Amino acid sequence: MSYISLDGVSKQYGAAWAVDRVAMAIEKNEFVSLLGPSGSGKTTLLRIIAGLEKPTNGRVLIGGEDVTDLPPHKRGVAMVFQEFLLFPHRTVRENLAFPLRMLKLPKTEADERIDWVLGILSLRGLEGRYPNQLSGGQQQRVALGRGLVGRPKALLLDEPLANLDRELRQEMEVEIRKHQTALGIPFIYVTHNQEEALSMSDRIAVVRNGRIEDFAPRAEIYDRPKTAFIAQFVGRSNRFVGVLKREGATAAIDAGAVALATADRPELKDGAAVAAYVKNEKIRLRTPETLRALGANALAATVKHVILRGAYAEYVLTWAAGEMIASRPRAEVEFSAGDAVVAHWDPADVDVFPEKEAAA
Amino acid sequence: MRTRLAPWLTLGVPTVFLVALFVLPLLSMLVLSVWRTENYHIVQDWNLRNYWVLATDGAYATFLLRSIAMATAVSVICTAIAWPVAYGITLYGGRYKLLLTLGFAVPFLTGEVLRVIALQGLLGPVGLVNGVLMSLGAAPLRAIMYTNVASAIGLVYLYLPIVVTVIYLSLLNFDQRLLDAAKIFGASPARAFFEIAWPLNLFGTLIGFALCFIPCLSATLAPRFLGGPNGTLYGMAMAQQFGESGTWALGAAMGVVLFALSIAAVFVAFRTVDLRRTGFTGFGRG
Repeated sequence: MSYISLDGVSKQYGAAWAVDRVAMAIEKNEFVSLLGPSGSGKTTLLRIIAGLEKPTNGRVLIGGEDVTDLPPHKRGVAMVFQEFLLFPHRTVRENLAFPLRMLKLPKTEADERIDWVLGILSLRGLEGRYPNQLSGGQQQRVALGRGLVGRPKALLLDEPLANLDRELRQEMEVEIRKHQTALGIPFIYVTHNQEEALSMSDRIAVVRNGRIEDFAPRAEIYDRPKTAFIAQFVGRSNRFVGVLKREGATAAIDAGAVALATADRPELKDGAAVAAYVKNEKIRLRTPETLRALGANALAATVKHVILRGAYAEYVLTWAAGEMIASRPRAEVEFSAGDAVVAHWDPADVDVFPEKEAAA
Repeated sequence: MRTRLAPWLTLGVPTVFLVALFVLPLLSMLVLSVWRTENYHIVQDWNLRNYWVLATDGAYATFLLRSIAMATAVSVICTAIAWPVAYGITLYGGRYKLLLTLGFAVPFLTGEVLRVIALQGLLGPVGLVNGVLMSLGAAPLRAIMYTNVASAIGLVYLYLPIVVTVIYLSLLNFDQRLLDAAKIFGASPARAFFEIAWPLNLFGTLIGFALCFIPCLSATLAPRFLGGPNGTLYGMAMAQQFGESGTWALGAAMGVVLFALSIAAVFVAFRTVDLRRTGFTGFGRG
């Protein structure tokens, strides 16, 4: 029995289904991300787990108990909101004390808990401040502390880092994951930012149009996308459209100016229109004279410009059928704008999906 | 130069306005209150006799206490009615929110006298309520026939729209999602209301309360048309000094007393309420 179970959970708004027959099982020590574009229903799903929305159909179980009909204040979960939603008329200490007062914890124990949270989140010295006297990062810490202080059964996080700048965000990612590991309770983290989901999660559920597209370990989501949507949404990919030709153990894709080869796809019909995706960082660059030796999965291109990203560089390439991007570590041979290159990749790095699905 | 001009203009115009139309008339009242009126003539000899009369003649103290009781009762009732109404509008008003709030102000489109007289027609001995009761063979409700209760009903009717509007505006600035946060952290809906919604709208509620309380103190029309022989309120007595009895100086002294009392009430209210505890962020950072 999983720690948190969603059983056929659906939510209808008017004629539309914001959440559509979602089934998920989350273990006690897991960090799970709900990753999806805005409007995909991931926040609604989180609010259903919290009890702030009632599902139209389906059941929610937390710790083996059916909580579908329980109001939020009886569920024992906590939440961190995107807008922090600290109580503006309460000091930091009072904000942190709020969940403990609701739990009617004795004062000595409450003080200990508050002290513990102030310590692990480096909030000492800010106890007497009001939320509007804090920086964004500090407010975020208080919001996280308020989520942890009551030792909830689960912590739900709704895009908690979306309002922070990039550096602070990366710092907080590490910190949030650290606290999850230390506390051993499930964190369910809603985000539209794939980097956040990939950096922290054990498993990622990709949400699209109210449905779970796939729920799998993060490496699997990234390396072996189950659908064209995931291939497009997670990571950055180059897309090739062509016709599939199955040849025994392998399959070839004729995409006009380039031929792609990959392992056989028995689920696809011979001659089907397909879209193939190759991630930017899987594309390698070589000097032009190697083209003939490479055969399939290679094309001649010209470097249009180079975007430096620090540890790696993004090469924007033009080739016969358009543009593509290759990301390479800076340690490799570098090319500059105007250079003729050969872009090539491994058959294993080609993800193929029916073209109809990809277009939808 | 432009940057220098803007603050002078934006702060200067209201200052001139306030001094000319508020401070000066008030000062003239203050001066008049230490003069004397005799046979409808103002006599300019400086004395404190008017205040002495107010302090020693029991009738004025009675009027004042009755007015304070009346204003308190009316303001409490107005606030108690306005809160759920304004809250309901913000929660369930949808796209008709503005319309519903404006609907409350419709009675303002007629004059105050008209509204009070219409109410008199409703509550009086031959009014609609008692007319219906009597035609059904029941005894008329004496409590609403020219009594303080009738005055109170009239005042509630007059000032409820203001209180609803002020509390509604306060609720409009209130982030309802804070209630979600409170519930997630273990507060029942009622607890969440008193922990979060009430204190964060206390400032707005107090303004609504004051905007009802202060005009109620000096109310003249409602007690005159709806109140009975025991219904004389301070404001009504004050108006009489300027009208029938022609004792303007005494009226002016009554006005000064009322003004001092109102200022004191507002001062006490703001000293007791910690603005930070109402989520007031007008202090800026730091």
